[in-house]
Amino acid sequence: MGLAIGLDTAVKALRAHQLAVDVAAHNIANAHSPGFSRQRVLLRPIGLDGSDHWTRDAFLGRPGYGVDASDVRRVRDLFLDFQLRQTAGSREQYAALAKALRTAELAFDDPSDLGLSSVLASFWNAWHDVVNTPESNAARTALVHSGETLAARIRRAWNDLDALRKDLNQQLVLAAQDINAKAEEIARLNFQIKQVELNGDSANDLRDRRDLLLDELAAIAQISYAEQGDSTVVVYLGNHELVVGTDVRTVQAVPDMSNPGMTKLVFAADGEVVATASGKLRGLLDARDQALPDLMTKLDTLANALRTEINALHQSGFGLDGSTGLDFFAGTGAQDIAVNTALLSDPRKVAASATCAAGDSAIALQIANLQRTAVASLGNVSFDDYYGSLVTVLGADTARAEGLAESSDRLVSHLDAMRQSVAGVNIDEEVTNLVASQRAYEAAARVITAIDEMLDVLINRTGVTGR
Amino acid sequence: MRVTESMRLANHQRYLNEIAGKLDDTQRQLASGRKIERASDDPTAAAVALHYRRDIAYEAQMRRNIESGIAFMNVTEAALEGATETLQRIRELTVQASNDTLSPAERQTIAREVDQLIRHLAQIANTQFGDAYIFSGTATDTPAYSITGDPPTAITYQGDSGLRVRQISREAQVPVNLVGSQVFGTTFDDLIALRDALASGALGPAIEPSLSAIDASLDRVLSARAELGARINRFEAALQQSETTDLNLQQLRSDVEDVDLAQAIVRLSSEEVALQAALGAIGRASSLTLLDYLR
Repeated sequence: MGLAIGLDTAVKALRAHQLAVDVAAHNIANAHSPGFSRQRVLLRPIGLDGSDHWTRDAFLGRPGYGVDASDVRRVRDLFLDFQLRQTAGSREQYAALAKALRTAELAFDDPSDLGLSSVLASFWNAWHDVVNTPESNAARTALVHSGETLAARIRRAWNDLDALRKDLNQQLVLAAQDINAKAEEIARLNFQIKQVELNGDSANDLRDRRDLLLDELAAIAQISYAEQGDSTVVVYLGNHELVVGTDVRTVQAVPDMSNPGMTKLVFAADGEVVATASGKLRGLLDARDQALPDLMTKLDTLANALRTEINALHQSGFGLDGSTGLDFFAGTGAQDIAVNTALLSDPRKVAASATCAAGDSAIALQIANLQRTAVASLGNVSFDDYYGSLVTVLGADTARAEGLAESSDRLVSHLDAMRQSVAGVNIDEEVTNLVASQRAYEAAARVITAIDEMLDVLINRTGVTGR
Repeated sequence: MRVTESMRLANHQRYLNEIAGKLDDTQRQLASGRKIERASDDPTAAAVALHYRRDIAYEAQMRRNIESGIAFMNVTEAALEGATETLQRIRELTVQASNDTLSPAERQTIAREVDQLIRHLAQIANTQFGDAYIFSGTATDTPAYSITGDPPTAITYQGDSGLRVRQISREAQVPVNLVGSQVFGTTFDDLIALRDALASGALGPAIEPSLSAIDASLDRVLSARAELGARINRFEAALQQSETTDLNLQQLRSDVEDVDLAQAIVRLSSEEVALQAALGAIGRASSLTLLDYLR
């Protein structure tokens, strides 16, 4: 083995440790960059021809020919990525649902002194006041206003829920744009990574960026993905291709004919509906198409039962002016329930009496007692109980979604900590590496000095006989 | 486990968020005084709270019904007391008049006083409470008795026999009014006959029958008052019952909805301590690095 080879070995070591210092610097610089995976120089002893020393020379009992440090790799656990993305998908799903349901709860504002339940109670009480003094115009005026307050409150709750649905629909459109933007960036990265890695290099930072995008995409919708031999990833949204190599199948929001006023997400190319079992998109869809319509239907049922039950009794009664056959409530549902304008402008028309006598209030008493009567169209429960269960079922659904979001969040935090434990940067560790590389660099330099001295001995001090 | 910078940062953020979230919850509860602000805070408790709230509002209305019913009946009672006094005065005059020693002029005087008393009694029978003639049954917009002629030759009941029924508890619907035709019966006819007899100078034996008619009238009024007294007692009992129920319900509602202040304050201070400890730990942990020990 010649001394020149020793010099070469030392130069390789200098290069390798310089690279290690660069990598440590890069790691330290990115200690807090989201999605960054720490990088490691792959150090490998090599034989004379650059092949792996372990394979041949070591067997032959020969020393190797230095270190090879051409490859810098990311340290990352791909299985943790997979788990984390799945969990983040369900976290975002339940978080979106919980957020919508919490907003829906505000439409009812119960239990509180200002909630719909207390407005409903005031309404029944106003009927009792008319029972007590049927000839009093004050009690009748109070009643029709209490009725209008109740109707307005029901309308407002319905409108709040309707506005919330439209807002969710808007978020859905934004989510589609988000998906497209991320898919396009992944396709671009696919191209770049493929180019870089064709030359045998590792596109570490580009891969980090692509992984971050996959994380974000998994939070929006259910995705699956697989890395191909050419370093590109194929991404599926539901069961449909989203990114293939450098191509993107974009998603589009189009009017949904079967869901008036709402949009559905389809793939622009073939019109197939975007299907997702998790992610924010799932939460938005569940809230928009199930939870909220369900609540609005219940509110309609309540409004319709109030209207028909009260009107049936009211029509059979007589007002102070002898009027009869009038409706108390007008409208077709929760959206437009209102007190009959004839009654609002002349409360004497409130048909409290069963006999036309001014002091009779048998009808008003029957209406007041509807409060505690089981109503067939409400499933044989009273108005109060029907509304009470609407609020508590909503509360329970909200609490459930919040609980699921929270437990997924804990799991996400845990998995993320595990991922960070593997892929994250530890400054102390990097500093240690830095010091080690610095020392190794110094030692390699010293090797060069040593060989230089040996060459000096060989060249300048040997073979001088006869000089 | 290998601890990394971003992991440490994420952990710190999460701990701080958790503690700050709890602290915020407690502070909000202390400010509002309420444990449940939305049904989702505790769905089961919210269901119970809604139930209590509804019953509290209902009981409050029952007390309103009872109290205004008692007011109505108190007016009725006062009217009946006046009717009793009036009838008793007429009875005294009738006893006087049945004495044959009275001069025709004195009989005329008694006849005039009886006439005044009849008008007074008719006024009593037409007593109003608010807009309602209380003795008219449910025809409360018309006076119970119409008076024909001056001096009156006929005082006719023009109400109906309807009852003003109201709810005073979950189970009980009770009328508050007494129907004039039942309270007064033939009283006015009997008294007009008496007055006419006195005016025409009739003597004792002709007046005797009126005396028993007056006694019958007094009996009717007195039994009406007894009935009314029993009803007022019933209303008052229902009022007490409702007040007791209300106290219980308020207590139950408060247990479910309201914050236990002492508990919340203790929790607040322990959360503040936890926050301080977490901040301290973070401050100390992040100041320690290998760099401090390298030349």
